[in-house]
Amino acid sequence: MRDATDDAAVRAVDSATVRQPTNVLIVGVGGQGVIMISKALAWLAQSQGFEVKQSEVHGMAKRGGAVFSHVRFGPEVWSPTIPKGEVDILVALEWAEGLRWLPYLKPDTGIFICDTKRIVPPFACLNRHPGAPLRYSRETPAEVRAHVLEAYAIDATRMAEELGNDRAANVVLLGAVSTAMDFPVADWERAVTEFVPKKTIAVNLKAFGLGRGWIDDARRGTPAALEAEPVFATPRAPADTPYNVRLEITPGWCKSCDICVKLCPERCLQLNSERIVELAIPEACTGCRLCEWLCPDFAIRVHLDSVQDMVAAQAGARQ
Amino acid sequence: MSATTMLDSAAEFDVRDYLRAEMMPHFLCPGCGHGIALRALLWAVHELAIDKDRLAVVSGIGCAGRLSAYIDASTFHVTHGRPIAYATGLALARPDLHVIVITGDGDCLAIGGNHLIHACRRNLKLTCLMLNNEVYGMTGGQVSPTTSETRVTSTTPLGNSEPHFNACALAAAAGAGFVGREVTHHVPKLKELIKAGLAHPGFAFVEVMTDCTEIFGRKNEMGSSAEMVLRQKSELRPSAYRDTVDMPFAAKDLPTGILARNDRPEYGEAYRRAAVAIKSAADNPAAGRKSRQ
Ligand code: SF4
Ligand code: SF4
Ligand code: SF4
Repeated sequence: MRDATDDAAVRAVDSATVRQPTNVLIVGVGGQGVIMISKALAWLAQSQGFEVKQSEVHGMAKRGGAVFSHVRFGPEVWSPTIPKGEVDILVALEWAEGLRWLPYLKPDTGIFICDTKRIVPPFACLNRHPGAPLRYSRETPAEVRAHVLEAYAIDATRMAEELGNDRAANVVLLGAVSTAMDFPVADWERAVTEFVPKKTIAVNLKAFGLGRGWIDDARRGTPAALEAEPVFATPRAPADTPYNVRLEITPGWCKSCDICVKLCPERCLQLNSERIVELAIPEACTGCRLCEWLCPDFAIRVHLDSVQDMVAAQAGARQ
Repeated sequence: MSATTMLDSAAEFDVRDYLRAEMMPHFLCPGCGHGIALRALLWAVHELAIDKDRLAVVSGIGCAGRLSAYIDASTFHVTHGRPIAYATGLALARPDLHVIVITGDGDCLAIGGNHLIHACRRNLKLTCLMLNNEVYGMTGGQVSPTTSETRVTSTTPLGNSEPHFNACALAAAAGAGFVGREVTHHVPKLKELIKAGLAHPGFAFVEVMTDCTEIFGRKNEMGSSAEMVLRQKSELRPSAYRDTVDMPFAAKDLPTGILARNDRPEYGEAYRRAAVAIKSAADNPAAGRKSRQ
């Protein structure tokens, strides 16, 4: 019978000799091809004789929701999911999704590879007021690099676009990932060929080469790669010209049906004491026109006056 | 159409430019969906830049039939069930006009049912806007050919037990060149559909699901006008049309959008060509006889 100290010694030896699996977390938005590249990676690792476990969650993926996929491979893999702080390589096909998963990265050795593509989710636009700021992440690649030991912000989508198929952005990133593992390039290319749609094999192989080359250049710090630093502008709300909303109401036409009051998304209309519509909370009105369109009696007309025009008109009046 | 151009068009389009101000406010009940349908129609007319002098609107009897009176164009308010018949004559005589028929479900499918199927068969260039509110509103809420099963009307106080028509399936089966359906809740989509119908070179049938708030809504306890509009959203189930011929009585299925389209020859064109051929044969009897041999 061994005593407790022996047990601890055996365990110490075990964890030193048994190689931990390599953990790759691939994240993005529905439709970007997260699952496709994780399958290719899993297939490749298996073909190299490793045990592989892959698990994915793609809840509202088809509607542009978050998708993530865990790929683990090694001599022995038990759990199909990667614990927080254990990810060796975090690959993100969308900028904010990447930032969201950063806590999963191994603090000392984890590599972060992220497309600078930004897809603004609906909940970042909750404030529908014209010109309202989006609540999308404002961190720049430089700021992120300062916090992560090895981080690459790569404009994979633009690179794929230049190849003539923006859908190949995921394979550009796969090319980038390939530099962090020592599988032969030919095998990587076989995996790409196996999983991309048949008609797009050529463009995807090019995309793979581009991604791989980009990271190599960046590692060497060659000027080309530094120049390829993406122009990073935070997304803006669609309305860049500020305007004022003005509701023109024809009281004699309103029949108090209440449709506009109940269907206004901002709930800023009400019926007054005479049961005629009025704009109760002007500052909440976004000028969406729903009230204008749904009023069966044509009693509301929405005017969007551009602020510049109004300033110009006032200046004109003063002269 | 991109979002910006759609916003521009919305900013530019003022429905009052197309209304007879002296007739307003209109006579429809509070919350009646017909007003929303009228806006969509006029918006489509505006986007296609159709000259008011080239716009002729023919309508029958009923709440929907009244709409023509409010449009600032050439309008005809004709006998019950016959707007398609009048419009056929007008469109044949004046192919330079855009002829639009506004009709209701009773006017179009019951009293004027025959005119509808034959207009579909002929495929004369006309746009027929059928406002379906499932009831004869103006005359006090009697059951109509589109009243859904179990709905209460003044003539079916215990609930309707007749199966109801699927007007789009009927029009498609009869050969209409363009068939579509939309609800009033989706004004921009309805506008786009009507626009496509107006641009179609043959007979275009557009069914608009609208709310009769005062009669049908009240009798069936469907809540306030706003609740009725919102109800359209919960019932809307856009889906591709399956076999239209087999579906004229499919219940509880409300596909929307363009449901059928074909490019059969337009009747007016064919008619004028035949007329020219017959006339030249009459002017030149020898040639005509020879060709007939
Ligand atoms: S335009 Fe009309 S519906 Fe839209 S927010 Fe303003 S008041 Fe409400
Ligand atoms: S929808 Fe039109 S008629 Fe109805 S309450 Fe509003 S303004 Fe008045
Ligand atoms: S009776 Fe019905 S259809 Fe006619 S105007 Fe009133 S609500 Fe509209």
